[in-house]
Amino acid sequence: MPSSLKGLRIRLGAALILTLLLSAVLSACAPATVAPTPADGDTEAAADVPAADAPAAEGSSTLRIAIVGDESTLTPYTYITGYPGWNLLLLQYDTLMQLDLAGVPQPWLATNAEYSDDGLTVTLDLREDVTWHDGEPFTAEDVKFSVEYYKAHPRSRFTAALTPVASVETDGDYRVILTLANPAPSLELGTLSDVPMMPQHIWADVETPEEYAGEDANVGTGPYKLVDYTPDQFYIFEANADYFAGAPAVDELVAIKFADDAGTLAALRTNEVDMIVRPIGPEQIDLLAAQDGLAVAQGPLFTTQMLNYDMQRAPFNNLAVRQAISLGVDRQDIIDTVFLGYGTVGSPGWVHPVSPFYNPDVVASFDPVQAQAILDEAGIVDSDGDGVRELDGEPLAFGLIVNGSDSLRLRISELVAAMLADVGMAVEISAVESTTWEEAVWPGFDVNQGRNYDMAMWGWSAPVQADVVRSASLIHSDPAIGNLNLTGYVSEEADALGAALRTEVDADARAELAGELQTLIARDLPFVLLLYPDGAYAYNESVYADWAFMSGQGVFHKLSLLVPEARP
Amino acid sequence: MLAAGRGGRIAQYALVLVVAITLNFLLPRMMPGNPLALLAGVDVGLMTAAERSDVLERVGLDRPLYVQYFDYWGKLLQGDFGYSYRQKRPITEMILAAMPWTLLITGVSLLISGVLGMAFGAISAWRRAGWLDVSLLWTMITINSLPSFWLGMLLISVVAVNWGILPSFGAVTPAARLTGVAWWIDVAQHAILPVITLSVVSTPNIYLTMRYTMLGVLGEDFIRTARAKGLRERSVLVRHVIRNALAPVVTVLALRLGFAFGGTVVVETVFSYPGLGRLIFEAVGGRDYPVMQAAFLLFTVAVLLSNLLADMLYPLCDPRSKNG
Repeated sequence: MPSSLKGLRIRLGAALILTLLLSAVLSACAPATVAPTPADGDTEAAADVPAADAPAAEGSSTLRIAIVGDESTLTPYTYITGYPGWNLLLLQYDTLMQLDLAGVPQPWLATNAEYSDDGLTVTLDLREDVTWHDGEPFTAEDVKFSVEYYKAHPRSRFTAALTPVASVETDGDYRVILTLANPAPSLELGTLSDVPMMPQHIWADVETPEEYAGEDANVGTGPYKLVDYTPDQFYIFEANADYFAGAPAVDELVAIKFADDAGTLAALRTNEVDMIVRPIGPEQIDLLAAQDGLAVAQGPLFTTQMLNYDMQRAPFNNLAVRQAISLGVDRQDIIDTVFLGYGTVGSPGWVHPVSPFYNPDVVASFDPVQAQAILDEAGIVDSDGDGVRELDGEPLAFGLIVNGSDSLRLRISELVAAMLADVGMAVEISAVESTTWEEAVWPGFDVNQGRNYDMAMWGWSAPVQADVVRSASLIHSDPAIGNLNLTGYVSEEADALGAALRTEVDADARAELAGELQTLIARDLPFVLLLYPDGAYAYNESVYADWAFMSGQGVFHKLSLLVPEARP
Repeated sequence: MLAAGRGGRIAQYALVLVVAITLNFLLPRMMPGNPLALLAGVDVGLMTAAERSDVLERVGLDRPLYVQYFDYWGKLLQGDFGYSYRQKRPITEMILAAMPWTLLITGVSLLISGVLGMAFGAISAWRRAGWLDVSLLWTMITINSLPSFWLGMLLISVVAVNWGILPSFGAVTPAARLTGVAWWIDVAQHAILPVITLSVVSTPNIYLTMRYTMLGVLGEDFIRTARAKGLRERSVLVRHVIRNALAPVVTVLALRLGFAFGGTVVVETVFSYPGLGRLIFEAVGGRDYPVMQAAFLLFTVAVLLSNLLADMLYPLCDPRSKNG
């Protein structure tokens, strides 16, 4: 019997050997082309720089950054995410003003902004040395066109940002006059530093901007030009040598799309990318910083981790319950356990301690004993001895909905559930897919549609925190103003303060209003702010080390790629 | 009789297709949430209600469901899959770009796992209960319990990160501007780890099917008869055993070919591979209805066709069904 099988065995063996040989041949070729060099892949650069490990700063330099998720064609109407999509967009386009590293708007395309006494007319003078990537001059007509085009073709971020602007006129080629409907203290931060200018000569005839895919669709005035986009794989940007603020620091920028964070980490460690655009997880910080050549930039971020609840329904319509929740969660413990210490304790008044508007009198405290005392005093006691208190005969039990794909948030939820159990609340966590979670908390992205949750893990992106005037949108009961009021908070005091904050142009008076509003939020607790995570960004310092941390916003922004002298 | 049978089968497939297309249309819309954030940008909450409904109107999502449904059929019959809400690109273009990558890794690994699974399965059955069979069986069952993402991450961390001999992600080296042979080598290098992962995790099923059916065949009377006739062992194995055991295995392989069009979400995610699995996954995550519909349709058609293929191959593989 064995001998008769020989033929078959030989053939199988041959097939196996062939397979092995094939993979051996393929992997034998590998080191030649995948050998990590700072400026690899570019044959021309390789010819100029004989030593493979020569610093990329000499000759033609390439910087490869890792992004997660595709950003489509990166025009003002197609980019997808607020971060990093908007940041990549603004490598190609410019705004009238530009945030400096402290997050304060500075002159950029506009050299100054003059306000009329009533605050309703703003005169902007424009730089006269700016050209579009195709060589056409940038003029006041382009500004007027951009404002009107965004208003005529709604695109969430820019159309909303331009709401304060009622009309726009030009005065000569380099002066623009904006007329506002109401005084707008956020104009410089939320509008002039946010909305990219589009070239009139290209977009004037475009009817459906979302679908426009002409060769010139990415022409801006910015420091980089998009020269190649391979969908779902990568973008190649080329430096704009004629940039008005000086040629950018890196000649070629390659943004590579990954499917998940784990892939970006592996690629940074193999030198296949030189920087990860997303903040890295707390557990990665020490690991990556310890690897040769890699560095981690850290700083405060304006993103938030918070507990939202529906204040229109029991038990959250009861102030004692909200107070007990706020006193019962150990914010520092969450930071230490989940974020390994890399975070800032959340202010119950919403505003981050690094913000100039922070009210230091508003502080969070962890006091489960007091939390229990408050509940006892309100008559919310555990009368049947099951460890869960009762309110009006109903157990103090509720669901906590969280997007299951976010492992940090899941861990926060588990800690919160355990902490609240200690003060007599039964929390049941439900981890669901992101869109389902979002739809429960914020149906149709429209607060008019109400809410479908008890309690939820939530968080706002940096822009909401960066502009203190926007805190009005979190607490105002009129959906037109309180468009981010997801907890059903209704308070005449809050409405009055929020409305005043939105129109107060005097900086000192505004700071005072912001301070009062923080006291009010901490008193009424329309949500429980847990913490602000720190941002940690990993990069290869042997390739590019000039990353600059913008307060609350991280390191990936236009200024990081300009030479330090050109940064405002 | 035969013609009627064939006609009946075609009608059956057509019915399944119509039902599938209807479900492809309905299921995305039954999921909670909607594609507003994709259409208007992530800051959609900042828009006024009027601006939001304006956005929905532009893509026709404000119309009654049945109008959208008939509109979908109308466009489908013209071969128009529409535009992606997310990428604002024609979907046909997106699918055509993703399909070759998926077929490359799933096709090659199907081939490898098919050959390995059948070979090992045959050996195992032939040597039933011997040490070779037992060790193969244990190995395969162990492999079968490995999650593919774990295996993929292990390969990345050992082969790409520690040894540094293969790239850790993607289908090509970004911005390398390679052409000709260098490009093909680059593609092959990028495909190796995903193909190994997929091959390893899909071999056990084929192995187990092959082993099981061969054991069944080996116990049949006609094998005993063949041996009694004095046929050489090799001839018994090849002409009688393998021949008879092939049909179920070929069916499994044909079905896998169909499922290959669904991409392999997990492996494509671990390796950031730009295939159909990622396309579907991202479309579902953002409620990109047109992409979901098109990708599900492609998947449906591929599975139906592979079923048809299996139906047609079965008689060729199974000596018994020739007369049937």
